[in-house]
Amino acid sequence: MRAILHVVEHDFQNFFRYKWWLAGLISMNLADLFIMALVYNQMVHPDIARQIVSYFSFFAPGVTVIGLFASAYMIGREINMEVRREIHHYMLSLPITRLELAIGRLLAGGLRGMMYMSPLLLTTFLILGFPTVPQLFVILGALFLLATGISGLSIATAVSTTSLEKFITARGLVYYVLFFCSSIFYPLSLIQTLGQEGIMPQPIVVLAELNPLSSGTDLIRSFLMGTPTFSFYMIRNLVIFSAIFTTTAMFAYMKIIERR
Amino acid sequence: MVVERDLRMFLQYKFLIILRTIWFVAQIGFFGLIASRMVVPDLADIYFEYYIAGVIIMMLYSASVFIGYDIFEEAEHGVFEYLLSLPVSRRELVFGRSIGGGIRSFIFVGPLIAISLFIIGLANPLNFLIAFSALFLFAFGVSGMSITIAVGLKSSDRFDILMGALNAVIVRLSTTMYPQAFVQDANQAYAALTNFNPVTFASDLFRWGVGIEKYLTMSPMPLAAIIGLVIFFSAFTFVGVTFYERRLEGGGWK
Repeated sequence: MRAILHVVEHDFQNFFRYKWWLAGLISMNLADLFIMALVYNQMVHPDIARQIVSYFSFFAPGVTVIGLFASAYMIGREINMEVRREIHHYMLSLPITRLELAIGRLLAGGLRGMMYMSPLLLTTFLILGFPTVPQLFVILGALFLLATGISGLSIATAVSTTSLEKFITARGLVYYVLFFCSSIFYPLSLIQTLGQEGIMPQPIVVLAELNPLSSGTDLIRSFLMGTPTFSFYMIRNLVIFSAIFTTTAMFAYMKIIERR
Repeated sequence: MVVERDLRMFLQYKFLIILRTIWFVAQIGFFGLIASRMVVPDLADIYFEYYIAGVIIMMLYSASVFIGYDIFEEAEHGVFEYLLSLPVSRRELVFGRSIGGGIRSFIFVGPLIAISLFIIGLANPLNFLIAFSALFLFAFGVSGMSITIAVGLKSSDRFDILMGALNAVIVRLSTTMYPQAFVQDANQAYAALTNFNPVTFASDLFRWGVGIEKYLTMSPMPLAAIIGLVIFFSAFTFVGVTFYERRLEGGGWK
């Protein structure tokens, strides 16, 4: 446990080295919320506006999840850099077991995402109102699952390639598919309607439904806005996503960095 | 020669080209398509096409900005000293870089413009040619702006962050994603800034060129947008060149 905490501490210290990068990221998130969402507020169809209260309110949980995703994914970039510069040899020489090292890095990635996301979540609460204490715990638990899953996905991608370009391209693909094919920017019901009309291919609709970013965003909305209705499927999706990617990342990290 | 070198350098960033293409497809295939079903009926008919035109301008902007990153890369690897030792005047070097930055962004965006024309259609080829030519001014101006900021800041981290933040604000406070009328309804201050944004000039011009004339901000078109772009281009190319030229002497970029 002590060793894991050391690894987490090391990764947190690294995280604070990127303070300017974080400032840039937060300015983008806030510009999305306070400029783009405010303008879309005026543009949304009245029928949809009735479902989502207002686009500004609807989008606030989405921005929280975008911030969580981007910051939790950062751990992969650091690990990819360590693999390229062979710093992982030093990490492997430390008196820490491979498993502790892998768990520490995974947890650090997730916790960094949670820390970055906190002011955005607070902003969402200020806009939409505060949840009850049990709801708050469910939200934090669900977002932690999401953050560790994202951290795992990022680590698994990072150790799979020594090329920064390939890592960045893979990250871009993951970002854009998961962001745009989710309920972050628009209600899931709209994507489902497009699927029923044959405009959106069915696999895309299924991806949007199972997308952990949809589940995380809709879970916050269900507690703070009452729409969509809370469903245990949201938790189930997050648990499955987190379980798959934390396990994959741990094994990939332990096996692949030993081989390189 | 300077322009040619910058064009060759850009083609090395294959991953960037792939990444931006994925972004383009995701923007129009997901966001554009779904958002066009989410907006008010008056806008819904044209929103998909309207958004595609906006995405093209966003791509042109971000590709033109990239020249600033090259400058930092060269400073880090000591290529700058080599460039300064060439039998090319400082002014030619800087002007060439600004033009090279603009042209290469067009080469990158060119195929995407062709795809967008295939989707949107082309109402009047002459209008499109006028708009397309004027958009070069926009690309050169953005490259000049990127060079000016890169040389002024001297730190790649700060440049990266500033360009990220600037991109977030300049694109959102423009008509790339939404018409001016809705920005006006949302916030008067935002609307005022949108009116003087070169990204708005370029978006309006491109839409006018492809025949999406509903919800244009500027009037009379295309003159108003072209004048705006000429001012933007002049400010950042000529002022930027002078600024860059002074900074270059005596290792001022370090």
